[in-house]
Amino acid sequence: MGFLAPLMLIGVAALAVPIAIHLIGRRRARIVKFAALDFLLATKRRTARRFRLRERLLLLVRAIACAAVAIALAKPYTSCSRKGPQVQRGPQAAVLVIDDSFASGYVVDGQPWLRRATDEARRILTQLGPEAEVAIVRASEAADHPTELTRDHLRLRDQLLALEPSARPADTTRALARASQLLAASSHSRRTVYLASLLTKSGLRPDDAPWGKDGPALVELELRPSTMPNLAVTSLRVDAEPGAGLRGVAFDAEVANFGDVPAKVELSLSIGDRVVARGAIDLAARDRRTKRFLAALPPGTRATDASIAITNTPGDALAVDDRRWVRASLRDRVRVLLVDGDPRTVRHDDEVFYIEAALRPGDREDSGTQVRTITAEELAGIEPRTRGKAGAIDLGEFDVVVLANVAALPGERASVLADWVRAGGGIMIAPGDRFDAAAYDRTMLPLLPQSLRDPIDTTWGATAQDRDSRALRLVKWEADHPIFAPFSKTAPELANAKFYKIALLGPTTDTSDRNVLARFNNGAAALVEASIGAGRTLLFTSTLDRDWNDLPIHPGFLPLAQQAIRHLARKHVGSSTADHMVGSSVVLATPDLKKLEVRGPGGQGAIFEGDRIQGRTSVRFGRTERPGVYRVLGTDATGTTGVRDELAFVVNVDPRGSDLAPAPATALPASGTGGGGAPSDESRRIELWHALAAALLLLLLLEGVLIQR
Amino acid sequence: MNLPSISATSGIDPAQLARLGSLAIKARVIVEGALSGLHRASVHGSSVEFAEHKEYSPGDELRHVDWKAYGKLDRYYVKQYEQESQLTVYLVLDASASMAFTGGATMAKLDYAGLCLAALAYLVIQQGDRAGLLASGEQSRDHAPGPGPYRESARTMVPPRARSTHLHDLLGVLDGVIKQGGAGDASPAAALARISELSRRRRALIVLASDLFDQDDETLRVLAQLRAQRHDVSVLHVLDPHELAFPYDGLTQFEALESSQKLLVNPAAIKRDYLERMGAFLTKCRGTLAAAGVDYHLVSTDRPLDRTLLDLVVARSRLGPGRRAG
Repeated sequence: MGFLAPLMLIGVAALAVPIAIHLIGRRRARIVKFAALDFLLATKRRTARRFRLRERLLLLVRAIACAAVAIALAKPYTSCSRKGPQVQRGPQAAVLVIDDSFASGYVVDGQPWLRRATDEARRILTQLGPEAEVAIVRASEAADHPTELTRDHLRLRDQLLALEPSARPADTTRALARASQLLAASSHSRRTVYLASLLTKSGLRPDDAPWGKDGPALVELELRPSTMPNLAVTSLRVDAEPGAGLRGVAFDAEVANFGDVPAKVELSLSIGDRVVARGAIDLAARDRRTKRFLAALPPGTRATDASIAITNTPGDALAVDDRRWVRASLRDRVRVLLVDGDPRTVRHDDEVFYIEAALRPGDREDSGTQVRTITAEELAGIEPRTRGKAGAIDLGEFDVVVLANVAALPGERASVLADWVRAGGGIMIAPGDRFDAAAYDRTMLPLLPQSLRDPIDTTWGATAQDRDSRALRLVKWEADHPIFAPFSKTAPELANAKFYKIALLGPTTDTSDRNVLARFNNGAAALVEASIGAGRTLLFTSTLDRDWNDLPIHPGFLPLAQQAIRHLARKHVGSSTADHMVGSSVVLATPDLKKLEVRGPGGQGAIFEGDRIQGRTSVRFGRTERPGVYRVLGTDATGTTGVRDELAFVVNVDPRGSDLAPAPATALPASGTGGGGAPSDESRRIELWHALAAALLLLLLLEGVLIQR
Repeated sequence: MNLPSISATSGIDPAQLARLGSLAIKARVIVEGALSGLHRASVHGSSVEFAEHKEYSPGDELRHVDWKAYGKLDRYYVKQYEQESQLTVYLVLDASASMAFTGGATMAKLDYAGLCLAALAYLVIQQGDRAGLLASGEQSRDHAPGPGPYRESARTMVPPRARSTHLHDLLGVLDGVIKQGGAGDASPAAALARISELSRRRRALIVLASDLFDQDDETLRVLAQLRAQRHDVSVLHVLDPHELAFPYDGLTQFEALESSQKLLVNPAAIKRDYLERMGAFLTKCRGTLAAAGVDYHLVSTDRPLDRTLLDLVVARSRLGPGRRAG
């Protein structure tokens, strides 16, 4: 222990004052010769011990109080070499980065690891002192970050106390970058980032440094347990399994052991709220395997939610990733009639080669699509005069007709098709070299959302080097539309496709709800949708093969083709089969609904009504903060409200966050100079005079109590 | 010499009385200021004054037969006379060390008690009765005559006499005891027991002036015993005002008068307990003596002496003939 003002210790001599007063007081006591001393002695015998004790206590209290005043004025301090972060008190800027990813719910010593982190953060907040400007940045993915530093430490403490593990994986690098931005805006020379994180490998991106050399000082709080074994269901997919019956489905659950010791994992399959199957799987250390469960969906249901859970006893320390949900549904087949306007003997040169492959990937029976391909000439079979003859085609057997590079149809044939569409059919039209704008204007207008003009060739006159640079690209699409639901707003699988030739659009036709769903970078329409009676028409202004573009060889072509066909057939894949992660937004089709309510686990939800749903074909729900099943209630035009099972969807945690393996030390950004330099003292100084002053007050209080007794 | 003023309401102030000269004068002042002629003997016996006639019956002395009446009436009548008896009064003074305490009054308890007894002696002898004195205390071993269990505790004794010169002797001895001051821790029980031995055949009036600070309550027991022997007993329980009120404050060291015990204490801390104990002591004294038929007077030393004497005499006059010694 040391003293900042040791001269003040001279005041300890004041210790002698109460002692001297006590002794002098004894000597100066009045002497009285008293006859009835026996009465006093009898009384005194009872109170003598208490009196003597009180006198001595008073002397002690007064002596200590005198000494405490002098010692407090000397400002004592002690040094502490306790293992822990070095925290300097005083004016400075600091950011507390707290890992609140779902891994922070990892139970350590009976409580979530996050509680340990917030306790340590509050301790640091206290040590920083009231002059420090501080912010708290959460390190979970896509977490909201503060906009500025503050001295309102009380509010920060409340934030820390209210912090709960989120359901998102960690994104520590992004949090550090935000901390650096906040500190850069500070006028303080001393800038420090205190990092309370599990430092998992998935949360850090070593290649994406959050700051440079002049960045803040980084103080890492060593709070991570030495070992963090974890079991997790990392993936779950469900497929129709005809071998298990008409309603048979197969659940393939991928289970991972992120620990360093082998584990036997017990699993259970629940459909709805009922456990229907159990199983076990042996996993080696750092191993992952797939376990298949076969089950049949309950009679009368075409879609339901199911989940696979780890049921090991004792439970896993991180429970949030021990269960994974999925929507299991018996899909309706979409019957598609592909009209090949330019059939070729070389298969990949055929006009419908790519669209056919996209609708039946791998030519699997379970693709959900039934495709029949005919030539443009064979389409004559739809005319009434062919009815009952060979080659006759009943359009009632199809949900969607695709005209791929089909020359303008004769008026009668186009009329039959138009009637079929008005009755509820869906048609998709894509031009090609056989397309003639003038001929289309004559016969095909009842099937088009907009009239067509002659195509433009962007590569006309270009050299081979310029060809790609002059190609058009998709730059804008209705991300909320069901057709583009699988894509983000900047999806490279679409944006990277090059379009060399497109058909231009002319005046609008006699359709309703015309909507340009996608545009090229020159502003020309790429995909136009419209309603014709009860049916739909979709016009793609380029080819469905590689003649005018290279879209078919980009990853975006397959989901785009499938989504478009199902949209035309009004059989959306919807949200139910997609594997949504926590935090992602879900597009919900709202066919003819005037109100839609989403109810998630834990009471989360939203209600779409009024302007939020009217005139829209879909809504986007973004409050998917908890894993589980999100149910949807819809109110149709007649005012009838009911559960829309086909719109229900499930949300799961991102399996990247389940791997709790520590990141290498090099993954952390290097600590910067922090402007004023990071604290370097090996030992911390703890000033004691505050405690002494408090003790002095208590002593004075005690003295008052003793005097009154 | 200026005699102290006597007021009907305030009486003789002990402080003023203390300034007077000899004890005899003080006693006279007290008696003359407070009472005169309140005492009379009422025991029938041989005397010179005729009281009444009574018909003769065998056993009557022949010398008392009224022969003149026999001559006139031819019947035997015997003359009866009212005899003025000599009352024997024993004045007992507690001269132990505790009686030397002077607290809230200008007079020590011993002085006050001595003056009261001196006034009584003056009154008794003036009326032709016999007054004796016994003083208890430490010196009793050298002065006490005769055997007995309390011989060593009888400090001074003056036998009862009725002569006027005896008053001078008695007051001289009493003055000497007072001037010598209180000493020792002997209780008056020994002196009282001595009286019991001396007055077996003749009842007497015994007046004790003491603070009754007795370790073993022996004094109370002997007083009850004397009363049981049909002696007339009065007790002046003399206490200092400070002993009754305990008005001390601030750190105080109390020192015992009858021993070497000392006590350093904050009086405020023990005042309540002390007063409770003192109250219990007074209740015990009053109760025990009243039960035995002893005339009890609690006297504070700041009370005027003549009033104290008057109270004593009035209380005695209120007692019936059966309580009068003879």
